[in-house]
Amino acid sequence: MTKRRPIPSCSVGIGLRSPHVSEIAATRPAIGFLEVHAENYMAETPALDRLLELRRDYPVSLHGVALSLGSAEELDRRHLCRFKALMERIEPLLVSEHLAWSAIGGAYLNDLLPLPYTEASLHLFCRHVEEAQEALGQRLLIENPSAYLRYRYSPIPEPEFIGEVARRTGCGILCDVNNIYVSAWNFGFDPAAYLDALPVDAIREIHLAGHHAAEDVDILIDDHSSRVVKPVWELHAAALRRFGPVPTLIEWDTNLPTLEVLLDEANHAEELAYVHRYVDAA
Amino acid sequence: MPKSWPMCTDMSMLLELQMRLRRAVLGGDTVEIVAAIQGDGLDPAARVGIYRHHAFATLGDALQGTFPVVCRLVDKRFFAYAAHEYLREHPPHSRCLVEYGADFADFLASFAPCEKLPYLADVARFEWALNIAATVREATPLQAEMLAAVPAQEAAYVAVRLQPSLSYFASPWPIDAIWQANKEDEVPPIDITSGGTSLEIRRAGEAVSWRRLDPGTFEFRTALADGLVLAAAMAAATLKDPAFDLTAALQHVFNDGLAVAFFVSPEQETPR
Repeated sequence: MTKRRPIPSCSVGIGLRSPHVSEIAATRPAIGFLEVHAENYMAETPALDRLLELRRDYPVSLHGVALSLGSAEELDRRHLCRFKALMERIEPLLVSEHLAWSAIGGAYLNDLLPLPYTEASLHLFCRHVEEAQEALGQRLLIENPSAYLRYRYSPIPEPEFIGEVARRTGCGILCDVNNIYVSAWNFGFDPAAYLDALPVDAIREIHLAGHHAAEDVDILIDDHSSRVVKPVWELHAAALRRFGPVPTLIEWDTNLPTLEVLLDEANHAEELAYVHRYVDAA
Repeated sequence: MPKSWPMCTDMSMLLELQMRLRRAVLGGDTVEIVAAIQGDGLDPAARVGIYRHHAFATLGDALQGTFPVVCRLVDKRFFAYAAHEYLREHPPHSRCLVEYGADFADFLASFAPCEKLPYLADVARFEWALNIAATVREATPLQAEMLAAVPAQEAAYVAVRLQPSLSYFASPWPIDAIWQANKEDEVPPIDITSGGTSLEIRRAGEAVSWRRLDPGTFEFRTALADGLVLAAAMAAATLKDPAFDLTAALQHVFNDGLAVAFFVSPEQETPR
């Protein structure tokens, strides 16, 4: 198949992790789309070959974790080129990155570090999104991060900041509902108000995942290691009411479950999408 | 506590803030950054600590994935300690974590707590070679007949480019045997004094493979991999093996599918 099929707005996907690849290839379960971390497929590994086979049957979404669009230095052109080369092979339906930075001064920290939200950082971030969109030849979706710290001087509220990035650059927003919940808990804001502050038209994808409570402090850690918790499902239902049907992804990256459990989470998200579409909307 | 903290009203302040947070994440010293962070009911240093913990845990896991037998030889806790020390001084440059750890073997070689395991750094070198082979695709091999186009008087100056997945690696220890034994659940006894090895590691289709080479072949192929022309590679091989047969050795290079290109390099000095 060479023609790219769009991802239907009501479809639910799963994050593809290597222990599940063989089972998916053998059983071909009904999955709306597969999302992969771009950086895991930039080397010429057998895993890339497996992905190239799966993409014949499943739409693929490419989720970057290392473009570091928030770095106060030039974008890494070599990494952008590798990203572009991968896109040409995968032909992803969606391409996303984060409102964060992860590299500075030649060191890659493998973490999504928060930005202070100021006019200067907004200007920088927008410039980098525009450069990346131009280099990749595709509209990016930018994901709101989960955070454990915020800066004393950060005058622009995060939903306003990301909304302004979308307005200025034309990028879409990947609304990570779990991240909103985690950050809201960690900083004591109202997650529903955050959702309400996001621009409806820019939302192009939703992420759902599990998190856990830190042992010694009252902090939630976004580790994608468990089922989505009930309050996050409830927030997701609110997101569907506000945004309408949006491609939704179940992320599960550590402490991996069986594929059956992962598909069960995806089924639940599909049920919610169905309820929204045919019951709530009626 | 520093008197000022970056308010990020311009780009240089944002850069300064990010460099401070980088130093706090990698080095653990949060003095420079805490004043810029809102407490929100928790010590700002503890907030930085969450990111620091994540960075070290995930990068340490990446190293462990690339160097599983090194990890087994020193046990997980010591490996985590060594990885931690390495990470502080050698954070990744590449954003693809399978490419992280190129100089981990050199680090281990000079890491004092490892000095009682003299073969450990070479095990790491072997695992790095396996990692390269696992992440680099083989190019289409060149057929030997292509060399026929080279005029006889230029043959000595031919340099052969080898498969990009290849590594050549020699050690005074039986590294392949040590590595293989430690892949088993029950490690069988290994005679680590059984002698050294000269290894060729490569990708073969989807698999990674390696084999021991005789001294002449190893020297010859290592010289080719280093870009030496045939005459120079042959001279190096003959030092190890006076009976070295260039024609046969070159034929084997092509038969094994190792050559991917050649070029004539008359400017390279060759031994007379």
